[in-house]
Amino acid sequence: MYWLPRDQVRALVNRLAESYAVYGPRRDEVSGEVVFDRLEELERLDLQAAIPYNPPKHALLPQYEEILKYLYSKQSQKVTIEKISKVEPKALVGLRACDLNGILCLDRFFLGQEFVDEIYLEHRKKLFIISNTCVRPFPQCFCVCTDSGPAAGEGFDLDLTCAGQGYLVLVGSKKGQRLVEELGLREAGSEAQNLREKIVAESVSSFDNFALENKAWVSRATNRLTTGFIKPEVWEYIGNQCFECGACSFVCPTCSCFNVEDVNRVDGPTDRVRTWDSCSFEGYTKMAGDHNPRKPVEDRRNKRFFCKLSYSQSKKYLRPGCVGCGRCARVCPGDIGLPNVVTYIRREITGE
Amino acid sequence: MSYYRGICNFCGTGCGHLLQVEGNRVRGVYPLPGHPLSRGRLCVRGWHIHELLQTEERITSPLIREGNSFRPVSFDEAVDFTASRLKTFSGREVAFLGSPRASNEENYLFGKFARAVMKSNNLSLTSDAGLEESSRVLLEGCGLPAMTGSLSALRQADFILVVGGDLTKQNPIIASEIHFARRSGTFVATISPRKTQMARLSQKHLRPNPGTIWLLLEALARALRTEGLVRGDDLEERVENARQYLEYLDSLDLKQASESTGVEEQEIISLARKFYESESAFAFYPVGIQSLDRRSMSALLNLFLLAGKLDRPAGGMCPVTGISNLLGSLDMGVSPAFLPGYFPVEAEESWRRFEELWQVGLNRTPGKSAAACLQEDRSIKALLVVDHDEEIIRHVNRIKELEFVVYFGAYQNAFASLATVIFPRLNYVEGDGTYTNSERRVQLSQKKVEPPAGIKPMWEILSRLASALGQPWPYKSAEEIMTEISRVVPQYSGLSHEKLRASLGLRWPVDDRHPGGTEFPLAEETGRGFKFVFDGAADRRQSLRSGKEGVFPFKLVVGRSNYFWHQNSVMKRTFIPRREYNALLLLYPNGFVEVSEEDARALGLREKQPVRIVSEAAEIRLATRISPDILPGMLYIPYFIEEMISGFLHRQVSELEKNEEFFLPVRLEKVE
Repeated sequence: MYWLPRDQVRALVNRLAESYAVYGPRRDEVSGEVVFDRLEELERLDLQAAIPYNPPKHALLPQYEEILKYLYSKQSQKVTIEKISKVEPKALVGLRACDLNGILCLDRFFLGQEFVDEIYLEHRKKLFIISNTCVRPFPQCFCVCTDSGPAAGEGFDLDLTCAGQGYLVLVGSKKGQRLVEELGLREAGSEAQNLREKIVAESVSSFDNFALENKAWVSRATNRLTTGFIKPEVWEYIGNQCFECGACSFVCPTCSCFNVEDVNRVDGPTDRVRTWDSCSFEGYTKMAGDHNPRKPVEDRRNKRFFCKLSYSQSKKYLRPGCVGCGRCARVCPGDIGLPNVVTYIRREITGE
Repeated sequence: MSYYRGICNFCGTGCGHLLQVEGNRVRGVYPLPGHPLSRGRLCVRGWHIHELLQTEERITSPLIREGNSFRPVSFDEAVDFTASRLKTFSGREVAFLGSPRASNEENYLFGKFARAVMKSNNLSLTSDAGLEESSRVLLEGCGLPAMTGSLSALRQADFILVVGGDLTKQNPIIASEIHFARRSGTFVATISPRKTQMARLSQKHLRPNPGTIWLLLEALARALRTEGLVRGDDLEERVENARQYLEYLDSLDLKQASESTGVEEQEIISLARKFYESESAFAFYPVGIQSLDRRSMSALLNLFLLAGKLDRPAGGMCPVTGISNLLGSLDMGVSPAFLPGYFPVEAEESWRRFEELWQVGLNRTPGKSAAACLQEDRSIKALLVVDHDEEIIRHVNRIKELEFVVYFGAYQNAFASLATVIFPRLNYVEGDGTYTNSERRVQLSQKKVEPPAGIKPMWEILSRLASALGQPWPYKSAEEIMTEISRVVPQYSGLSHEKLRASLGLRWPVDDRHPGGTEFPLAEETGRGFKFVFDGAADRRQSLRSGKEGVFPFKLVVGRSNYFWHQNSVMKRTFIPRREYNALLLLYPNGFVEVSEEDARALGLREKQPVRIVSEAAEIRLATRISPDILPGMLYIPYFIEEMISGFLHRQVSELEKNEEFFLPVRLEKVE
């Protein structure tokens, strides 16, 4: 483990900016809120800021992305297809552990199955990831219930843990090791590992005092969801409150569903575009011939929670599909973010 | 930085968002967490505004009609041509149709151009179903022409009454606030014939028969009297015409009202009590796109006045606007009834005031709405229209007869093809502008991307036209126009772009006494006179009978926004909302009629079975859609199929469009 004094953070970021577009948390001046954004002005990076309102997903899976262009020529009766490649190397600095776990879930969906998604792969290959331990949880957090925080375990190039006047730096890759050496960081000493563990343990024990917005005892809910013993009335109660806006999927660090559209031009090439999509939409599951296996809103709602919490899905992700960031609870107009749904499922079990 | 703070431009909620801008294109959108109203939420439309903002279906050059096609021309040529043609018309020969999606600055100048340059008072808005009516009622009843309540305080209310429409579809984030209020203990009651999602989310749902919302509201007021909760002498001190109103109210028979509305007397009484006992109460009703009618709005206002709920904080009347700047457009006087700042056109002082401010003589004869001009006035020869977002164009044949039509628009659409001259417009992220949401919150939307080459801001187009017509206008930016607005519109007197840049919106009145805006104008400013609004001894019984119940037993209601939004003319340029809104259209390509489960059973109707709907004037064939959401005896047709409008509803359409209380007596026949 290495030691990064606070005043050297700028040097680290400057170094990264030489080869990467730097992304990180910054505060909005007027609303005061934290956004995970591309930073041209590197001094805007704020490692002390709260968990950003948006996950870093847009850096790997943009909300709107042209993926290819094709043109049909009437004369030659041929189609030419051209790949649109605008993927630049990006450094994601100051990722919270939940968001890093979100990326690992996306990896397993896009890269870990039979078909590898080439566009995602290109984004992913060019990433440099620096995670940032939450030394204190934020009000909406419940990552301790989903095994995804408050500190990162894997998947980073470098990992920072704030300790007094600087950061303990954990190296997770060769790329990370190279950067640490280039910056000439000194070893943090033999006590560093213990110190990090102590900081993380303190953070975990302070959830009771600080993380007050959400409680989500996920394991029992996983059991019920997997065995299917949840009454339809519970889903109807949840479905009635769904505004069908798609926000829960859009803000979820692990949601990977997308839509593909062709933007046609009268006399020009067609762009093929990939955009975010959500299982809460009726059109998402609608098939040709008007059949819709998930027509009622409650069926679409429960699909999402199966995806996040059932055992069969967790096997795919090698972890629960929920990383405990609490964002879905904040953006939901119907107040049926995942923690509340877990509460309703538990209430059915306990009969409270 | 790629995420920039902004305001959603769809409905009148005015949610805060972050637009992701890369390479001069809007690539994404995200809710703005710190926004005082939307608090980090967006609806399905708001979540896809970036898809609309990327569309290539823009109008990018001024165009002049030549025969059946258009010729791209230079900006100068378009201005010269337009000015030379406009010179040939007198004020009363021209009508102006403004856009509730355009900014305050644009609407103010559009109105000023009509009145000061063209001397025309034929000025109105598209999609203004009922806002002007609501403003008149509120102005008459409490002296404030807009929301007396506050959206950011509605979670503190004890009691919320939602009347008509379906807020969960029209203004989802306001509905969400109401839902959160209910979850934290507020009592929410909905009054609507349809079982809407809003109704499902309420503790109480009263379902009056179509056309009887006003009667149910009067019955609630009457119940306050029969229960002995409101005494006459207290009331006379508070409200000017209390005695006359009580006379009118006491002539209502609760039992009869219960029969006509189909709502049990006990239900009426218990809701009236619950309402009366609440510490603070809000009423929400829709205006714009779909709207409550004048009679229901008045009855609702009277109910609140009677119970003394209007001048308290954490409560009030809340007309909810369906389009982003509907309220602002009316504030700016794009209306046949008001000059900017709600100065009534009937008053001579209003005209004197504006002649002095604008330093120009005005035509003091009040005008009409553009729709009224087209419908009844043969002397109209020219029409100027901004962003006609309605897919279905009314009076299309009359418009084709006009000598001169100017269209200012950002996107290609059906209306553009009717124009003589087309001016391209910026979309809302390509320039600065302020927008006023339902709760009087004026918010500044700042420029985020450069417009396509050659597109000029609306203020520049209008300034050039004004100059060519002999009135040199000095404007150099939207900011300067706001400075003028602050001098002209008293409610905006304390506003400037500079002030708005550092805030997330300020609620008018913003003036010397309220530099930070006003949350509850009626509570903060005493001394406004209250007055009950009613039309005297109208014959209630007469308005409840069509006299044709035997031949036409069903009440057909036409809905404007339950399964679609704004006839989808805006939504069709997005991907996901288009898919979602079109799902139904694809299932029922020729339209459908909703029939209650009870009626379907009684008539032996199956899903998708073709039926004929016959009214006195016309008939149409539609597919059956059996719905648990409507009352027996009621039929429901959504307003989005062109053929249905032009072929069946055409004669009744103006009434149907105005409000959701209107119904058509019809009968339903099976097609064998």
